[in-house]
Amino acid sequence: MNFKHKYVFLLPGLIVLIGILIFPIIFTVRLSLSGWNSFNPGLDFIGFKNYVRLFTDDPRFWQSFFRLSFLAITTVFLQYIIGFALAHMVWKDIKFKRFFRVLFLIPMMTTPVIMTVIWRTFFHESLGPLNDFLSIFGVQPPWLSSPSLAKVSIIVVEVWQWTSFMFLLMLAGLLSLPKEPFLAAAVDGASPFKKFIYVTFPLMAPISIGAIIIRLIEASKIMDTVFVLTSGGPGTSTETSSFFIFIKGLREFQMGYAATASFTYLIIMIISLTIIVKVLTKVLMRE
Amino acid sequence: MAKIVLDNIAHSYDPNASNPVFALKQMSLSWADGGRYALLGPSGCGKTTMLNIMSGLVTPSHGKVFFDQSEVTRMITEERNIAQVFQFPVIYGTMTVYENLAFPLKCRQFPEDQIDKKVKEVSEILNLHNFLDNRAKGLTADQKQLISLGRGLVREDVAAILMDEPLTVIDPDLKFRLRRKLKEINDKYKTTLIYVTHDQNEAMTFADNIIVMDQGEVVQAGSPKDLFERPQTTFVGYFIGSPAMNLYECSATSENQISIGSNSFKVHTNINNTDSKDLKLGIRSEYITVESKLSDNSLEADIIEVEDFGNYKLITASFDSVKIKAKVKRELDIPSEKVILKLPAEHCCIYEDNKLI
Repeated sequence: MNFKHKYVFLLPGLIVLIGILIFPIIFTVRLSLSGWNSFNPGLDFIGFKNYVRLFTDDPRFWQSFFRLSFLAITTVFLQYIIGFALAHMVWKDIKFKRFFRVLFLIPMMTTPVIMTVIWRTFFHESLGPLNDFLSIFGVQPPWLSSPSLAKVSIIVVEVWQWTSFMFLLMLAGLLSLPKEPFLAAAVDGASPFKKFIYVTFPLMAPISIGAIIIRLIEASKIMDTVFVLTSGGPGTSTETSSFFIFIKGLREFQMGYAATASFTYLIIMIISLTIIVKVLTKVLMRE
Repeated sequence: MAKIVLDNIAHSYDPNASNPVFALKQMSLSWADGGRYALLGPSGCGKTTMLNIMSGLVTPSHGKVFFDQSEVTRMITEERNIAQVFQFPVIYGTMTVYENLAFPLKCRQFPEDQIDKKVKEVSEILNLHNFLDNRAKGLTADQKQLISLGRGLVREDVAAILMDEPLTVIDPDLKFRLRRKLKEINDKYKTTLIYVTHDQNEAMTFADNIIVMDQGEVVQAGSPKDLFERPQTTFVGYFIGSPAMNLYECSATSENQISIGSNSFKVHTNINNTDSKDLKLGIRSEYITVESKLSDNSLEADIIEVEDFGNYKLITASFDSVKIKAKVKRELDIPSEKVILKLPAEHCCIYEDNKLI
């Protein structure tokens, strides 16, 4: 069929797609090849100077990236373990099942920035209730001013906030599983542990991979928690890639360089997530 | 292996309701050790509920279940020595075929050498011996279903293997082979096989004994021959056989004679003591013959259509505003408009209130 007008019908969708997706990416690439900053605003062309600087002369970007990797992988791993455990718990017929299902979803319904402010108060070293309680045992850890404890604090807040999402996906997955494999395992005489290892976990593998990837994408954009809780500090010990780009672009107004970092980060994330999906598929689905 | 007895069993999924609905109405049944049974009935008639009661996946709301002399009514599935094959193949996808077959024995902590011997023996029977090291996930649907079956067969002491429409996902030619394999297994191991199906052909070709169910009740239990020749209810007559039994409302005219409209037929049933208004004549289309002239028990019918099924012809005709179907030899010449059909008296079944007299 030779239908010449098909492009006319596709045009509105294509225009929107180009406008909201392709144009910003192309503009970012173009911006990354410019020296746009607060002294010299404009799309001049400086070649790959920004990229050379990023790859050879900016360890801070790479430190923030590896820090982000650590935070994202740790938080998502913990969210997966806890979310799966909670979902498994309320999947079975237990008392107050509905109450628990709603309870576990509450963190996700709250506003991240506001909850982080509350957590910051909670972790406050001299005024916070946590150290108030810990002082009974004679300890007052510097939650937000020690580089390692600040990371722990961010992990706690992220896990608290987003485990609900993982719980929701895992519960939906569990509720959609067929009954027969579980009945067959019961007939075969499998213990609850064996049922989990050989039936529940393999059946949940595709859902697990989807849930982990969604959360990893989200977690790699971690910004608001860092911004409110530690502002990247102490020093740069909790600075993540997105926070670094935010500093370069919107605090120091090095727009060209921030675009370079953004685009590089995007490419690294696409490659990393592709590898992670392959690895997860191999490990969880044993393919 | 054991004799399974269902003693006054009934089951409602909501027994505490003010007016409970029973998926299985009260009945008693026993299943002889080593028998080959088929549970046959339309969807929703209670076949799977009965099967799940035997395997322990459902605890009956009324009655008791015995394996030999011991009561197992409240015993959980893991503690009963029962194997069950489900409609869709259930395999442990992360395991190899060998590990799948060994799994029930491993769960019961059998020694390794015994497991190895049994798995190899069963895999030979099921033709799975060449795939033992393959991942079960990559096999075809019928091979997967064989694995499900194999997990039941590796357990020697199993009281019965319950199969819930196990060949639904299998190709027709493979179905035939698998049914034959099941029969061989039953002959060799004398394991009780209980096969749930809504396909009468499957039931007829597989089982020695068929239990026909309808609306939570057992309507007839017997051999395929009994079910075909002497259906105890009009439901069985209608449900078993293809085409279904010809059934006509009739009235008794004398001790051994009934009439359908203007036609009278002799029967071998004594209908003297019948006072019911609901009287029916049933006859299988296989027993109706085409005649050249009118005689006793014959009628003249108008041909509606003649279908050629390759190995037989099916005549659909009408008389006194009712339809009649007759299965005749393919080579028989059938007139184009009117046909004389004979209903042999010895094959006429008379039903009073839908029950065979």
